[in-house]
Amino acid sequence: MLAASTRSALARTNLARSFATTARAAQAAPVQKPVVEKEFKIYRWNPDEPSKKPTLQSYKIDLNQCGPMILDALIKIKNEIDPTLTFRRSCREGICGSCAMNIDGQNTLACLCRIDRDGGKDSKIYPLPHMYIVKDLVPDLTLFYKQYKSIQPWLQNDNPPAQGEHLQSQEDRRKLDGLYECILCACCSTSCPSYWWNQDEYLGPATLMQAYRWIADSRDTHGEERKERLQNELSLYRCHTIFNCSRTCPKGLNPAAAIANIKLELAAE
Amino acid sequence: MSSSILLRSTLPRALARRAALRTALQVRSASDAAEFKYVPGGPIYKGTVNDPTTFPPPSRVHGSYHWAFERLLSAGLVPLTVAAFVTSTTAHPILDGLLGVSLLVHSHIGFDGLIVDYLHPRKFPVLGKVCTWALRATTVATLVGIYQFNTNDIGITELIAKVWTA
Amino acid sequence: MMSTRALGMGPALRRAAFGSRLAARNQVVLRSALGKRAIQTESLPPSASETILNKQRLSRPSSPHFTIYQPQLTWYASIFHRITGTSLSILLYGFSLAYLVAPGTFDSAHIIEFVHGLPDAVKYAGKFVLALPFTFHSFNGVRHLLWDTGKFMTVKGCYTSGYAVLGATAVSTGIFAFFY
Repeated sequence: MLAASTRSALARTNLARSFATTARAAQAAPVQKPVVEKEFKIYRWNPDEPSKKPTLQSYKIDLNQCGPMILDALIKIKNEIDPTLTFRRSCREGICGSCAMNIDGQNTLACLCRIDRDGGKDSKIYPLPHMYIVKDLVPDLTLFYKQYKSIQPWLQNDNPPAQGEHLQSQEDRRKLDGLYECILCACCSTSCPSYWWNQDEYLGPATLMQAYRWIADSRDTHGEERKERLQNELSLYRCHTIFNCSRTCPKGLNPAAAIANIKLELAAE
Repeated sequence: MSSSILLRSTLPRALARRAALRTALQVRSASDAAEFKYVPGGPIYKGTVNDPTTFPPPSRVHGSYHWAFERLLSAGLVPLTVAAFVTSTTAHPILDGLLGVSLLVHSHIGFDGLIVDYLHPRKFPVLGKVCTWALRATTVATLVGIYQFNTNDIGITELIAKVWTA
Repeated sequence: MMSTRALGMGPALRRAAFGSRLAARNQVVLRSALGKRAIQTESLPPSASETILNKQRLSRPSSPHFTIYQPQLTWYASIFHRITGTSLSILLYGFSLAYLVAPGTFDSAHIIEFVHGLPDAVKYAGKFVLALPFTFHSFNGVRHLLWDTGKFMTVKGCYTSGYAVLGATAVSTGIFAFFY
């Protein structure tokens, strides 16, 4: 409402001046936005100086000269202040999962996380928790991917249809909703205290949800083997329904429920 | 032309140097095996980046049976606790005994969960095993203690009730 | 081409392709005149990459976790469930073992007499300290059992049931400690 009235007021002054100085009026001086300075404290560690301990480095930027998301701020810092700042990013729209990090205490994607406009408060940015750090905000996800591979995340069917594709009822297809959308950003797994303490053996929420995605698939005939592999005290049963995974998922998925379903299916056998 | 002569004269030397380097590397990699040993939870991984992680041998006793037993026991504790509240346990010694044993097993599973989560023998080969066996011994001793108290004294539920209003 | 590789001038030629032609040509001339490279390189077989990577891996720090993670009802309730359960179990084990070792000192008559002699403030405080973990662990245990059957398995369900447990704990602890 306010914006509309000022715009019409501007239009009127432009009209009045238009006879005299048309060109200058069209290029009205841009409104000077006030400087909103915000401090970002970012985790730094450089592999070229391995003896130096990781530190928090402070950067101050003007939020009115920056995009709205945390990723915009990181890119602005890298472009204008410190080119050595290292982080992963790619799609900037929450579909690649590259920019997963711990922002103000929560794991999320930097590209989907808005900057808190409160200039008085600083924002702390850490890499994903309890991971080995390659550099700055880049964690080593090797083990995470190796674990994902261990659940054999592909369709296995011993009796493929003689012709055409595997058919599935709409009801069976609906069972995969909320499972297949996972982008494997590792936000959930690295938010899980059980994964912090036992990540060498416990698979973690992301991998377990994908394990269930293939157990629940009506076209897959290897469900029994998939379930049998989880029958030990570490791979699955280190989940204590803490719920950090579902709470933090930037895609709004529910790994905790998927794991609960696996436990129920294993107990029912 | 001159370059090919140069090549011919340097080639054997380059090959020899490379061979020497290779043996040096082999010696180094033998000592690397000790230096880069796999430690559970450490930064060195088993196999290459393309190898999947492996699973422990399947065992339902450690898997779904353990999980289901723990849930059934916990669920059983709910009516037992309520019953202990509303009845006088001196009149129902079996209820008192059942509650005592259930609480003990429930506690034992809880302690065992702590060891598996924080002191697993794969990470703490000595301390983990010591804790596991110490817990087993303590649980057996506690079972005897509860039995003695429930048979020779007034029983745990009655004790709590009397201490609460003392 | 062969000769340039033998002389190790690949990088110089590559630079020549991208950089200033003239300067690069001068460099090539200079290098071939000297016949020696300024930078020492080491030729390694592909198998050496594993060693280099493992060396880097050993120097990597582990990122901070529970010290920087946002305090949330989810994991705070979980760790509190574990702490309360463990402390109650330690009490059960401790008392039973004490009775086993010294049944004369830890029999019910002595304990009741001892508690009876305590001042009221200590009695209320003791009841509070016992009732709080017991009620929380019981109510949260029921919450966990409901979760295991698939109920309240959403973030919203987790929070509503969590606050319900906190409320029930507060009310029942108050009743047990001060009105029972």
